[in-house]
Amino acid sequence: MISMIKHDIKIDESFYKIEEVRQLTDETFSLKLPKARFAFKAGQHISLGIHGDYQSREYSIYSGADDENLEVLVKEVENGYFTPKLRKLKAGDLVEIHGPFGKFGMEPHLAETGKFVFIASGTGIAPFRSMVRTYPEIDYTLIHGVRYSKEAYDRNEYAEDRYVLCSSRDQKGTYQGRLTGYLKNCTFAPETHFYLCGNSDMIFDALEILKDKGFERDQIHCEVYF
Amino acid sequence: MRRNVNPENRTVNLNNTKKIAFKTLGCRLNQYETDALVTDFDKAGYQLVGVDESPDVVVVNTCTVTNQSDQKSRTTISQAARANTNAVVVVTGCMANNFKEKLESQDNITFVVENNRKSSILSLVDAHFSGEILHPDQLPQDVFRYEPVQKSLHTRSAVKIQDGCDNFCTFCIIPMVRGRAVSRPVAEVLESVRKTIENGFKEIVITGVNIGRYEAGEAHFEDLLAQILEVPGDFRVRISSLEPDGFGERFVDLFRHPKLMPHLHLCLQSGSDRTLLRMRRMYDVQQFRKTIKLFRSVYPDFNFTTDIIVGFPGETEDEFQETMDAVKEFNFSHVHTFKYSVRRGTRAERLENHVSEKIKTERSAQIRDLSEKNKKQYFASFLGKTEEVLIEKVTQGIANGYGEHYIPVRFKASGAQKNTVRPVILTEIRGAGENMYLFGELND
Repeated sequence: MISMIKHDIKIDESFYKIEEVRQLTDETFSLKLPKARFAFKAGQHISLGIHGDYQSREYSIYSGADDENLEVLVKEVENGYFTPKLRKLKAGDLVEIHGPFGKFGMEPHLAETGKFVFIASGTGIAPFRSMVRTYPEIDYTLIHGVRYSKEAYDRNEYAEDRYVLCSSRDQKGTYQGRLTGYLKNCTFAPETHFYLCGNSDMIFDALEILKDKGFERDQIHCEVYF
Repeated sequence: MRRNVNPENRTVNLNNTKKIAFKTLGCRLNQYETDALVTDFDKAGYQLVGVDESPDVVVVNTCTVTNQSDQKSRTTISQAARANTNAVVVVTGCMANNFKEKLESQDNITFVVENNRKSSILSLVDAHFSGEILHPDQLPQDVFRYEPVQKSLHTRSAVKIQDGCDNFCTFCIIPMVRGRAVSRPVAEVLESVRKTIENGFKEIVITGVNIGRYEAGEAHFEDLLAQILEVPGDFRVRISSLEPDGFGERFVDLFRHPKLMPHLHLCLQSGSDRTLLRMRRMYDVQQFRKTIKLFRSVYPDFNFTTDIIVGFPGETEDEFQETMDAVKEFNFSHVHTFKYSVRRGTRAERLENHVSEKIKTERSAQIRDLSEKNKKQYFASFLGKTEEVLIEKVTQGIANGYGEHYIPVRFKASGAQKNTVRPVILTEIRGAGENMYLFGELND
């Protein structure tokens, strides 16, 4: 008897051709991919693989949900396995994308009415650029902790009075020192929602500071980078 | 007569003399899926036997959540295949996804079927016996195409409402082997509940990978649960393990319904906020505490059980002590303790400061000792009280079952039948460790 089972034909939609590699500092660059059919919510991340390599890594999406391109922000890790390989990629090379994943972000109607503080270390700024580009009217303050002020990626895209640069190793930031030092001296409206993205030590310290200030854990949203 | 292999056409083969055996490892979801397959094969005329009773087909439903699960799955496959050299050996479950190519290269395995095609194993086996060449990859993909359980290896039946997980906890392989979170439509779930009750089950367990994230159209988990509780019939409802995020007073209120049993397996994983962050869990200890307090302020004897991972990369002695403190404070009546084991492809594989096996074993033993003390204390609080016990089996005049709070109870059956609910006054704690139970007397 002939099998009656229908065979699903599925086209693999996970490979994307790099359109541009945008160099931001000596170590940091962004990969711009065609967005085409890829739908996501600001704040989500993707799994990024290199064609022919079995490993993949997670990256928050750096572009806005309505932008023409899908973009991720990458900092090369010296002696790392993956990022030096990403660094060698050029326009036309293929990368494999899975996702989007994650619930780091806000509902669109809340983005229009809420009050937000974004706290990022290093490339942890990626989901916040996505949020700011996706919701142009959003009421936010972005506190960005870096070692050197040159790591203020795409700084000119944020309103001057909404962007606080905390640089720990030079004197060119809004605040000289770690962002947790800045945070300790801040006051925020009680209804503020906080979004934290970056390394786990920064997130843990910032969490403690915010909880000490009386904010509920439900008001604090975290995305840990490792 | 031979069955049509169309999975939608479930005719019974009256001439079927084939025997089938199942071995299942891992979680309740896997157990449910096996039960549903048992129903499928039973309806198709296959005879259900043990693996030592010369089956023509052996289905091994595997687990891959830890290294130990992999090891158990491998052992089960080789034992089943060695004991039944002429049998068709079908390997499915999460290990089939995680190690597909490796398993396919083994001569002792006939078919490797991934999770999303598991529900069509009957079609595959039937096709094989018909002499057709059908590859498992040709089976339809549908994680909800399971028949309501009729013939089961258990007295309570699970109802699957959801599959997959998007949380991507850093230690967990499940999103890679079960895929993205998908929810079963409300109408299908309710129909499955109705049929399961019609099939004679007195207790259903709401099951999935991350059921708290259920989302079908406008309906979230609480909405679905409220509707399940309103399905007519004499039955009890339990909830399988749950992630401790996003529940409020409405969820607590639902437990006032007499059908919903006062027990939750709420997965804490660690009592240290730092460790929880590294695990990429979506809550902290204070939020967990809030949930426990909320429940116990309304239902003081509510039973909480949990999962704990010990020896997660970077877990310090202080962090472990925080977990011990939390287990004590939250008074879990049972802790399912896992020693952390590396899962390839997860983020935690690349974390620094992995903990030695020796320390993991020591910490695991400490949690187990504490858990046993908690259990004894919790059980003692029920002495002199009456629980409605669903009888799972009666052996040598002794009935075994679980009370509303998911406490194991035994009593002299005195004519009480399997799959009935009877009131039992609890009089004594017996046994120890995993085998601790409450003994009592019928209190009709």
